[in-house]
Amino acid sequence: MPTLEPYANYLRAGLVVLIGMSLGFALTLAALRSGYGFNPLEVGPWVAWPDIGGPDVDPYARAVIARSGEAPLAKEQGLVFVARVDSTGATLDGDCDYTITDPTPPTRFWTIDLAAPDGGAIDWPGGRRGYSSVDVLRRENGAFEIAVSRETRPGNWLSPGAARRFAVVLRLYDVGLDAAARPDAEVFPKILRRGCA
Amino acid sequence: MTIPDRFLVYLPWAIATLLIAAIVHVVSILLMPTLAPRDAFARLSAYATAAKADEKLFVLPAPAPGAAVLPYEDASVVVGVCVYDLTKGLLRVAGPVNGEDYLALSLHARSGRIFHALTDRSAIRGKIDLLIGDERQIESVNNADAEGAKPLEVRVVAPMKRGFVVLRALAKRLSDTPRARAALEAISCARQEPPKD
Repeated sequence: MPTLEPYANYLRAGLVVLIGMSLGFALTLAALRSGYGFNPLEVGPWVAWPDIGGPDVDPYARAVIARSGEAPLAKEQGLVFVARVDSTGATLDGDCDYTITDPTPPTRFWTIDLAAPDGGAIDWPGGRRGYSSVDVLRRENGAFEIAVSRETRPGNWLSPGAARRFAVVLRLYDVGLDAAARPDAEVFPKILRRGCA
Repeated sequence: MTIPDRFLVYLPWAIATLLIAAIVHVVSILLMPTLAPRDAFARLSAYATAAKADEKLFVLPAPAPGAAVLPYEDASVVVGVCVYDLTKGLLRVAGPVNGEDYLALSLHARSGRIFHALTDRSAIRGKIDLLIGDERQIESVNNADAEGAKPLEVRVVAPMKRGFVVLRALAKRLSDTPRARAALEAISCARQEPPKD
C-alpha cells in the first residue's frame, strides 16, 4: 500500500480550508440570528435597535436587514420595540393568555400589535389590526389593558390566531425618548401571563 | 515526541483555520447586502414593475398573512413607496402634510441605509418638498440657482444611484385608513430633468 505521508500537508491544508469555511459560515449564521448587530435597547421584555434607523448602521445590522427584507423606521421618526417574552422573561406562547397594561412612554402616537416571528402578519381571519394610542379603550383615569388570547375577550383584544410563536410590537412615533440613556422599564407596558390552555 | 512538540506542530494549522474562518465570516457579512436576493429594494422594485409604477408613488396593500410586501410593517400604517433610479434624472418628492396626522418619509439607499428622514412635524409651511440627486446632479442644480436666491425645496445628496422612498401615514383608527391613504396619495414622486448648462 502506497503511503500518504508525502501528501500529508496537502491533506491538512484541505482540511484547514474546509473547517475554516464552515466555521466562518456558522459564525455568520449565528450573528444574523442574534438580532440586529450591536447596541440593542432593552427595557423589560422590549427590545429596540435604534441604530438600524440611522446612517451609521453597522455591517451586521445591514446584513440582517438585507436578509429579512424590511425597511426600518428611521431613528428620528420613532422607535420599534419588539417583545418575544413576557414581563417575567418567559417566551410568549400562543396557548397562553396575556394582558398588556399601561403605562406607555410619552410619545405623540403609539401602536401595539402582534406579529409572526418572521415579521409577517398574524394569520387570523377577521383579525383586528392592532391598537393605537387614540383608539384603545381606556378607563376613566386613562389606564388601559389589552387582552391577548385565542378566545374572544371583552374590551381591547388581540388574538395570536393559530400561531404558537408570536411577538408583541410596540411602536412609538415621534418619541422624545433618548435612546442613549437607559429608559426606565417602569414607563413601558407590562406583558402579564394570565394562564395557559 | 513530547506533548509541547505536537502542540507546536499543529499550532500553525489551527491558526490558519481560525484565519480562514474570520475571513469567510467578515466577507459573507459585508457581501450580504449586495447578494441577498429578497432585500427591501428587490421586493419593492419587483412590486413596482408588476404594478407598472416605476418612479411613481404606489401604496402597498395592507399586510396579509404570508403575503406582506415588506415584513415588520405596522398594520395601523398605510405605506407608500417610490423606487428611484437617478441615472435617468433627479427625483422630486413633494406634497402637502397637515401636521396633525403622523406622516413619515425616509430615503433608503439600495443597500438598505437610511440617508434622510423626516416626519410631518419637521415639514416646512405644511409642505414636503425634496429634491434627490447624486452629488453631481445636486451641484448642477445649486449652480443653476440665481445669485442669492433661496431654494424652495430641500436638496438631498443620495449616496447611491438607486434606492427607494418610504412614506408612512398612521391611521389612528381603523376608519381613518382611507384618510391616511389619501394623505399619501397627495404626495407625488416625479422625475425631474437636471438643469441645462
